[in-house]
Amino acid sequence: MTIRAQNFCRTAVILSAAIIFHLSARVHASEHVSIESFGSLSPLLENHCAECHDADTSKGGLDLAKLPLQLEDRASRERWIRIHDRIAKGEMPPKKHKLPEQERLKMLQLLGSNILHVDSNEVAVLGRGPLRRLNRDEYQNNLRDLLQLPNLDIRDMLPEDREGHHFNKSAETLDMSRVQLTAYLDTAETALKAAIVDTPAPPASRHLRIVGTDLFPSLTTFGNREAMFFARNNEGVVFPPKPTPEEAANTSKDESLELALFRSPSWPYYGYPKGFVAPKDGEYKIRFSARAVRQLPKYVLAPASEPQPMTFRARRPSGPDVSGDVRATGGLIDIQPEQAVYETTVILRKGETFEYSLLGLPVPLAFNIKGGGPTYRYPPFPPEGQPGAAFQWLEINGPLAPPSWPPVSHKVLFDELSVGQQPADPKREASRLMRRFATLAVREPIANEQLEIFNRLVLLRIEKGEPFQNALLAGYQALLCSGHFLYLREPTQPDDHFAIATRLSHFLTNTRPDEHLSRLAGEKLLRQKYNLNTEATRLIEGHNFERFVRNFTAYWLNLRHIRRDDPDIRLYPEYRFDDYLVESMEMETRAFVSSMIRENWESKVLVDADFVFANDRLSKHYQVPPLNGSTLRKVVLPKGSPYGGLLTQASILKVTANGTTTSPVVRGAWVMERLMGLPPPPPPPSVPAVEPDIRGAKTIRELLAFHTKNQSCAACHATFDPIGVALENFDILGGWRARYRGLEEGETIKGIDRAGHEYAYTLSSSVDASGKISDGPDFQNIHDLKAILAANPRQLGRNLLHQFVIYATGTPVRFSDRPEIEAILDVCAGRGFRVRDLLMAFIESKIFLGPAGAQ
Amino acid sequence: MKAPFVASNAPIHSRRTFLRGVGVTMALPFLECMTPVFSRAAAPDAPQRMLLISNNLGVLPKLFFPTTSGRDYELSPYLKELASFRDQFTVFSGLSHPGVTGGHSTENCFLTAARGPTKSGFRNQISLDQFIADKMSQATRFPTLNLGVNIDKANRSLSWTRDGVLLPAEDSALVVFRKMFLQGNPGEIARQLHRLEERGSILDALLEQNKCFSRPLGHADRDKLEQYFTSVREVEERLNTAREWEMRAKPSSTDPEPLDIKDKKLFFQKFELLLAMARLAFESDSTRIVTLMVDAFATPVFQLHEEHNTTDGYHNLSHHGQATEKVKQLEDVDLQQMGLLRNLLTSLTERTEGGSSLLNNTMVLYGSNMGDANTHDNSNLPILLAGGRFKHGSHLAFKRDSNTPLCNLFVSMLHKLGVEAESFGSSTGSLSQLENG
Repeated sequence: MTIRAQNFCRTAVILSAAIIFHLSARVHASEHVSIESFGSLSPLLENHCAECHDADTSKGGLDLAKLPLQLEDRASRERWIRIHDRIAKGEMPPKKHKLPEQERLKMLQLLGSNILHVDSNEVAVLGRGPLRRLNRDEYQNNLRDLLQLPNLDIRDMLPEDREGHHFNKSAETLDMSRVQLTAYLDTAETALKAAIVDTPAPPASRHLRIVGTDLFPSLTTFGNREAMFFARNNEGVVFPPKPTPEEAANTSKDESLELALFRSPSWPYYGYPKGFVAPKDGEYKIRFSARAVRQLPKYVLAPASEPQPMTFRARRPSGPDVSGDVRATGGLIDIQPEQAVYETTVILRKGETFEYSLLGLPVPLAFNIKGGGPTYRYPPFPPEGQPGAAFQWLEINGPLAPPSWPPVSHKVLFDELSVGQQPADPKREASRLMRRFATLAVREPIANEQLEIFNRLVLLRIEKGEPFQNALLAGYQALLCSGHFLYLREPTQPDDHFAIATRLSHFLTNTRPDEHLSRLAGEKLLRQKYNLNTEATRLIEGHNFERFVRNFTAYWLNLRHIRRDDPDIRLYPEYRFDDYLVESMEMETRAFVSSMIRENWESKVLVDADFVFANDRLSKHYQVPPLNGSTLRKVVLPKGSPYGGLLTQASILKVTANGTTTSPVVRGAWVMERLMGLPPPPPPPSVPAVEPDIRGAKTIRELLAFHTKNQSCAACHATFDPIGVALENFDILGGWRARYRGLEEGETIKGIDRAGHEYAYTLSSSVDASGKISDGPDFQNIHDLKAILAANPRQLGRNLLHQFVIYATGTPVRFSDRPEIEAILDVCAGRGFRVRDLLMAFIESKIFLGPAGAQ
Repeated sequence: MKAPFVASNAPIHSRRTFLRGVGVTMALPFLECMTPVFSRAAAPDAPQRMLLISNNLGVLPKLFFPTTSGRDYELSPYLKELASFRDQFTVFSGLSHPGVTGGHSTENCFLTAARGPTKSGFRNQISLDQFIADKMSQATRFPTLNLGVNIDKANRSLSWTRDGVLLPAEDSALVVFRKMFLQGNPGEIARQLHRLEERGSILDALLEQNKCFSRPLGHADRDKLEQYFTSVREVEERLNTAREWEMRAKPSSTDPEPLDIKDKKLFFQKFELLLAMARLAFESDSTRIVTLMVDAFATPVFQLHEEHNTTDGYHNLSHHGQATEKVKQLEDVDLQQMGLLRNLLTSLTERTEGGSSLLNNTMVLYGSNMGDANTHDNSNLPILLAGGRFKHGSHLAFKRDSNTPLCNLFVSMLHKLGVEAESFGSSTGSLSQLENG
């Protein structure tokens, strides 16, 4: 380790167990200390800190002589806050330097009160945080809701937003650039074009009924005949190798044939019906008849004992090789063993089709022995037969016409003007429509002089002889790229209710305020606690809350990276291409977080609970009694199950692992940061990560030993490595393991995987998940660790509040917010720091509402 | 001049002579007159350019990759074709795009690195060339040119927008030539100018808002607004540049247009002709970024030598299954392509600008999304980078069982172009081994 790294480690923040158990704002400022008294801090610093933190030694890069006792400057205030916090946590000065408790308190009081004073003043004058630009999800949602185009797909036209404090909501990092603004201009133009129509009637809808061999693009598919065949009367049909055109025409109309499918879509696969390509972007209704079946040897079908989940995938009909988007569409459908008719609506782009996507089935993949030609093998059937689905017929209707014409999106732009109509007085009408659109679009009343800017643009265009519609669209486009539309601001003024409405809706629904919320803002009723509470409740229970859950978990829990690493098939062949498992994991975490808020669970569910959400696939993964179908249900865990709580959710265990190995270091640090809210300092530079040994020769404990032996490492690692060690019984996808897997050492396990490939891995040493929290209790396993972490519900609640604050306001908890955070926690303590209680109390706080607060 | 490249019996060297001839007579005057393009765009150094080539079926890996690494590596059979340029290129092994698997579906991800091209939820991402076009000021008429040999335009391209829309490649040399040298039709220019003007008036409106923010704002708010208005002004500047380009006459050429090769069978001739167009684009400073997908997949039975066709289409050949007859043909095909590459490098060396050769100012990347097309392997991609003032001359060997992201190389290339980007696609850093000294 380099000298620099050593210093860094030694002086880095030490997160002792004390924090986990007893962290509370030990010091709250008394607000009466005058700013002058800050000077009396100097002798204390001189006595207790200067020895290490002077110009000569400057441990941790801190030279107190160079740090001005000056808090107005943001950067030096941040430093002083860090100094304050480390003294408060007892990390500084180091234990060997005896600091009398009284002097510690004195230092904290001097620092705390002065920082609080200065920070509060700044908030009072400048607001808590700066203007915040809409991120690309919010921009899309705003446009979807404004233009009433629920399927508008424009998000990806905008550059990916930089994250700050783990969220795409940080005012500091959501910056603007030429590229960004150009993208907004293009995106607004595309969205407006999608909203208008130029024909007097909707496009004709087509109806297509598909049966027989037309149900599939070919008579066979990749993965041998077991993967797919046509059947009649439950028996596989053999077609002549070279059918005459007449024979082929007959089979394509043969209603007695069933398409029997036994594989999931994974390259190479193409499974769309013959003869259909979407003529236009739009929604298409699909009706089809199907049943869940079991395949017995010799291509014989028997009724299934369980439903078979499926969905459709939109894609271009480009054969096995995919070009362009691939999207699951139409939702999850559980095909029942009894033949029945199913109906769903898929969203397609022009030129796309849709393919059958059965979930959780084998995914045959060619293998080349010694580089020879490709060979397929369908994996062995389970004893009771191979599950799959059989399709009898399929009907397509579309594109579906909207309920009215022109569609409502067109009316948002042109009111009752019919398609292509030139108004009698174009300028007057243009001004009227511009005002009307601006009122709808901007989330608060717009000043006349502002509106005039866009109006002038439109009128100028009309004067130049441009078509009426085009002229108006230019004004709309400008408005959608204006500061009014792109930026959110703090509610600083007492009578400012629109900023509250906007903040509330972007927090809980990731979009603009709806009509009801805007009306309350217009009536200036949003500072009343009753209204705030009712509105927040309404949004939480409404269907757009799903947008909050999706975005919040995507960032807070990193769910957006859940597909980053494919499982290493050498070690985990059973997870090969198991997209259904990963999707179910993702759904579970969303369902959990949604229920956590809606049902107001205690904060300790972050680390412990006696239930999971599971469907058919997850019930196997979590080793609970088997479930049928794809719908998630709350399942009470059998006694002794290691699962329950976010901490041991499969999705969390996946995003904290790579595809090959788990690292206690990474998982431990992640849990401390995201779930406990006690982030370890960043890793020292120039120290390589510990790489687990996948031969199976050395255990991770042996490899991590130097973290405890080396004092400078131990200072930090002791606080989070043990947490990760307790999670070692969970593999890269959260499956339970008692022994590690390897490639060389140990007992060899052989078989054939889901892709039909042979595998062999070894079971090596047993997992030892015991450890000791630094300065805290020992634990034997995950159960003990959960109990230890759950014993600090206040810190878990505090962490949730911190996440809500940055997410909702774009600015992380400031020093001057701390007293209010603790006050919220005090209020919520009696009921176990329930999540919805915390959220509601936060919404009523000045952190959310601005200095005027609630009434 | 006749079109020797459509005549199937034309001797190869005469074709090459022609192509070189065109370059010399046309290009040199442009190089002189095109610097500086606009006075404010004047750069002291000669500009860096980039040619990004991918053959979507790759090469036979055994004959491409050297068996030894470092500076003193031994040239592989294929690289021997480039022996005279040994110090001007680097060959890489152990590079690939993480998570980009799925056989041929990966071909559209070669410059995007978007993961899981066959999985539900897949959407392609911005390609390297478009990323650059976004970041750089528009110093040339075309931000990029996107070319293809025998390409299936509807389904394949190296060039993709940020939201996963395919930007079609051009496989007609004639169209490319006219785009560069034939004056635009006045009606079209007027329409384009009108479009730019429309956007300009929208930007004017956005700038006008500035006057209205008079209420006291915190300094952080002011910074945010300043950033916004700066962005508006920058978009406007770019618009002005586009307008100037639109009004500016294209460079003219005294030479006849190349005739098109429509026959997919004439694979090498097409490839060579499009490489010549890429070179012309650089010489005339029409663009500085060219992508070229060699759509081997879409290439049917083709002419291997005069009067001698392959036994199978290119795709079938690529699944050789170790059949000697097929492997032999593939080796021949690969070697001929290395030859084309050598000729390109030679011609780039022959041109000078600003005191150094055009090759020195041009990064030429040759690679594939296929590590081994025979087994649909998308790891260990064959990658070769020539030119562009890198520290060349080595075989940079990364781990074969745990590849380094190819995007790390892309990041190094971005830096060389002067694009300040910390990352691109799946990069985890850059390849410092390529940096000078």
